Amino acid sequence: MGHGKYIAPPKGQYQVGAGQRLELQFVVLPGESRDIEVTVDLTGPGAEVDLRGLYLCHADEQVRFHIVMHHMAPGCRSRQRFCGVAGGRADVRFEGTIVVAPDAQQTEAYQENHNILLSEEARAESRPQLEIYADDVKCSHGATVGRLDEEARFYMRCRGIPDREARTLQILSFLSAVTPPERAEEVERAVRNL
Amino acid sequence: MEIKDLHAGIEGQEILHGVNLCIRRGEIHAVMGPNGAGKSTLSAVLTGKPQYSVTGGTVSFDGRDLLAMSPEERAWAGIFLSFQYPVEIPGVSITNFMKAAVAAKRKAAGLEPLSGGDFLKLMRQKMALVQMKPEFSKREVNVGFSGGEKKRNEIFQMAMLDPTLAILDETDSGLDVDALKIVADGVNALHTPDKSAIIITHYQKLLDYVVPDVVHVLKAGRIVATGGREIIDAIERNGFEQF
Repeated sequence: MGHGKYIAPPKGQYQVGAGQRLELQFVVLPGESRDIEVTVDLTGPGAEVDLRGLYLCHADEQVRFHIVMHHMAPGCRSRQRFCGVAGGRADVRFEGTIVVAPDAQQTEAYQENHNILLSEEARAESRPQLEIYADDVKCSHGATVGRLDEEARFYMRCRGIPDREARTLQILSFLSAVTPPERAEEVERAVRNL
Repeated sequence: MEIKDLHAGIEGQEILHGVNLCIRRGEIHAVMGPNGAGKSTLSAVLTGKPQYSVTGGTVSFDGRDLLAMSPEERAWAGIFLSFQYPVEIPGVSITNFMKAAVAAKRKAAGLEPLSGGDFLKLMRQKMALVQMKPEFSKREVNVGFSGGEKKRNEIFQMAMLDPTLAILDETDSGLDVDALKIVADGVNALHTPDKSAIIITHYQKLLDYVVPDVVHVLKAGRIVATGGREIIDAIERNGFEQF
């Protein structure tokens, strides 16, 4: 595995060796049901991994993420950010496991999964899991399931931005950290049609 | 703007019990009151905040029924609210935020969007008014801003949107003297004889710099006194108890 950035296939096993860097990006657009299973082994000192995922669901999609981040060597860093929006009767599940092996000291491992629900029937579930067997590590995970912030929407409308446009801006804002620049236009079109 | 016998509240609880106010073009009115008087409710109702409901009375603005208009329609008609707690919008730059706001207002008036060059020129001009550095335009709206920066950003947005009636809700809260002066200078610079403002405040601080034509005291959901500078002095000496 070399350096670089990939639009990832739905299933994959990756090994990232000493000093190497892996970046994977996942984009799931409306109408797509996906089952994404990814296992990453950080096998050599100083390996770095950055995973970003974005999903937009508006009907009855089922989107699953199973991510296993296995820190096997010291001094490695991994960062995972998955953000998505679920409307209609969509069902999103995120399962992310971080394993830090006993000799993987000075590990830094971060995982975030944030969801916004646009309808009463949509569901999102986030199950982060940490298994840490080393003592000198920095690990964190954060998961949220919420709704669009009414206060921010009102703020924008008070500036004359129409309600629908304010909603679009809010969703794009929420997704900004996980949107690959080369797919920003496509994502914006999809958000406008949500 | 003419507010007549306005009753309004939130979650079924009435907070304003018949407010009357008449603000003519060119006038600056101060609405002062203690905590819980209904000051925030007044600004929320005038800008159409969804959670609030009006249970009686009327508000007309330039001859139009303000209460029938959506928040964005009120903005297009020339009303601006400077928020007590400006909201953070991560991932949206000030430039893009203002572009959307200015374009929407122009569209409502039947105007084409400004050209990129004209828009940036306007941005630079208005940022200078509140002493914002050029890199400010690239920052995400209110994200990581200090209290002073947030309020300067509000006045900057006000300058960009050029409202005919500005409502400043506790704009002086949390500001040090320097930031207060910048904000006040901005407000004064934007004030012209065809524009009006309502300054809603607990303290007299901002009113030392932006001088109101009329001062009202709002207490327990009613205007209990109306006058001039002498009211501010009376509040400064003896608080709100006397009203």
